[in-house]
Amino acid sequence: MSARELHLVGLSHKSAPIEVREKVALSGDALRDALAELKGCPDVGEAFVISTCNRVEVYVYGDSACRAEEFFTKRSPAAAGHLYAKRGHEAVRHLFRVAASLDSLVVGEQQILGQVKEAYGVASAAGAAGSYVSRLCNKAFATAKRVRTETDIGRGMTSASQVAVDLVAKIFGDLKGRMVLLVGAGKMGALSAKALEVLGADRIVVTNRSAQRGQDLATEVGGVFRPWEELETLLSEAAVAIVSTGAPTYVITKELVKRTLKARRHRSLALIDLAVPRNVDPACSDLEDVYAYDIDDLDKVVAATHEARRGEAQRAETIVEAEAIAFAKEREARAALPVMIALRRKAAAVAAAEVARTLARTGGRLDERGRESVEAMAQAIVNKLLHLPTARLKQAASDGDSALPGVVAELFGIQDEPQAQGDRSGTGAARAAASEK
Amino acid sequence: MSSLLLRVAAAVYVAAAAGFVFYFARPKHPRVASLAQAALAAGFAVHAGAIGFGCAEFGGLEFFTLRGGAIFFAWLLAAGFLLFQRFYRMPSVGAFVVPLIVMLLIPTLFGALNLPSEIPPVVKSRWLPVHVSASFAGLACFALAAGVAAMYLLQEREVKGKRFGALFSRLPPLESLDRLNHRLVRIGFVLFTVALVTGVIFSHHAWGRAWEWDQKQVFSLAAWLLYGALIQLRRSGWHGRRNAILTLVGFAIVFVSFVGVGQVSGSRHGGSYK
Repeated sequence: MSARELHLVGLSHKSAPIEVREKVALSGDALRDALAELKGCPDVGEAFVISTCNRVEVYVYGDSACRAEEFFTKRSPAAAGHLYAKRGHEAVRHLFRVAASLDSLVVGEQQILGQVKEAYGVASAAGAAGSYVSRLCNKAFATAKRVRTETDIGRGMTSASQVAVDLVAKIFGDLKGRMVLLVGAGKMGALSAKALEVLGADRIVVTNRSAQRGQDLATEVGGVFRPWEELETLLSEAAVAIVSTGAPTYVITKELVKRTLKARRHRSLALIDLAVPRNVDPACSDLEDVYAYDIDDLDKVVAATHEARRGEAQRAETIVEAEAIAFAKEREARAALPVMIALRRKAAAVAAAEVARTLARTGGRLDERGRESVEAMAQAIVNKLLHLPTARLKQAASDGDSALPGVVAELFGIQDEPQAQGDRSGTGAARAAASEK
Repeated sequence: MSSLLLRVAAAVYVAAAAGFVFYFARPKHPRVASLAQAALAAGFAVHAGAIGFGCAEFGGLEFFTLRGGAIFFAWLLAAGFLLFQRFYRMPSVGAFVVPLIVMLLIPTLFGALNLPSEIPPVVKSRWLPVHVSASFAGLACFALAAGVAAMYLLQEREVKGKRFGALFSRLPPLESLDRLNHRLVRIGFVLFTVALVTGVIFSHHAWGRAWEWDQKQVFSLAAWLLYGALIQLRRSGWHGRRNAILTLVGFAIVFVSFVGVGQVSGSRHGGSYK
């Protein structure tokens, strides 16, 4: 096995609390400096760092994981107890799992792939990522894409406000020019109102029993405040009403909504009740063109999504495993390639030299056809002799047998041996890069 | 020639319908939708050729039979949907409309041509082609509107019943369907008005009587009034589920009037020109 391999040291939402994660997370210039520092170490060939709010992972392609570990311990001594380390195939698979969003807090979320891409881009720009990391990352992106298209891991909704937005989108399409009414000054309501902005909601009206809190919330969400007494009028104008008051009973009763129906003229009304205990009478649903949902309805969708994603994650893991193995095999094939080329080149050189010697001795007595025959014979001998070794090398490459190329190099005395055991000094990265090509 | 072209068109439509239905079932593959759309356009072109050849071969009178009417109507429906796609890009609607085109077209592939035995001179008038085309075009709009209304009711059931399943995610938003339905109804209504007016003028010229209260006229008038009322209600703010139901009722009436009534009775609309 080559001494150079992929080392990963990191911590994530699974291993470390936020207090530790935020101490070691970095971005921008700090990240570039850290990469340059890593790259400067003699035992580090290539490196890149994934740093998000949920994970900080240092990937090093080199001889040991010491530098990666230092990266954390230098920044926060507390991090030491939360680190995980993986190497070789395990590290590759871990990266693929991360990129495919199998290791995310919310499995299947799509952001992480962009973050990994960015991590690679930064490392690439800083000169820390070479040909190995480039191929590794591209394989990771391809794996993530395969997982996304071949499984339903990214399907479904993962938060109650996302479900609310989706519901409203399925009723109204968009909310441009429509009124979103916030009934009560609950925190959840404000969050959902914010979430509705993606639908173009530009008219937000807040009503609340306490005028002061209502006014504050209105400022916060960029809407206007109207007094509680106007609730009925407001309801007859609104397209969406998000209800989260602290009241222990139904604030919006069926009778109240019914009274507004005439003024509404069958325009749809979405009532989203985020309060516990409920503030909207579920019987409002019986009214035509009125759609009422409570927090349980929204949470059910979220739960169903998590359930479905767990099943899909199983399938995704299989894909990741297959791709990680494929990546390893490609690497082995590449390792065998330089030996194969060197062997052929050497044999060709020997043949050419012998042909030249023979022709120089007998050249005068041979005609053009004779000389061609000699050359052809030399070539044929080389080909016949090298046929089996070449085939065996290819086989070894695809089987993942990394010992054979070294043996062949040793046996035939090939100087330019790409997996030199003593390759620990000098321009390690350049050599490693060359051997990968 | 026209029969051959028609068979080709039908085959291409089947492919398009399959594509749209597949897309509806697997929305992850938008390429299938664009392929289906291309197939539909191709089928439409061949279909146009079939109608052109048919007119050259039989003098256009095939449209007075149920079979010819279905061929023409299917073509207008395809035209309407292509136009609609141009403006709205809702390939999921294709899964509802294109199979309808196929269903209209398939029966016309069987059986011999059923031409009126003699062509009475009264039929030769400038008004008649306008009357027939406008009727069919109006019917095509109402058919599209009915399809959209059906989608509305399906989606409404999902949204109200809190069933956030496959239909929910694939059908367009309620309001979009509602607006679309209304636009189609308005266009259909205009075309239908033109059909009624030209029909009256033609009838007056040909037989000296503007209105005869034959069944088709009665049904068409009823549908026209219903759609007119719908548009009027809409103007005063009428939305949603009731609107969709009324659209479906209206289409049921025009459909009966087009397909059913003329065939049963021996009225002029049924091919008796006396």
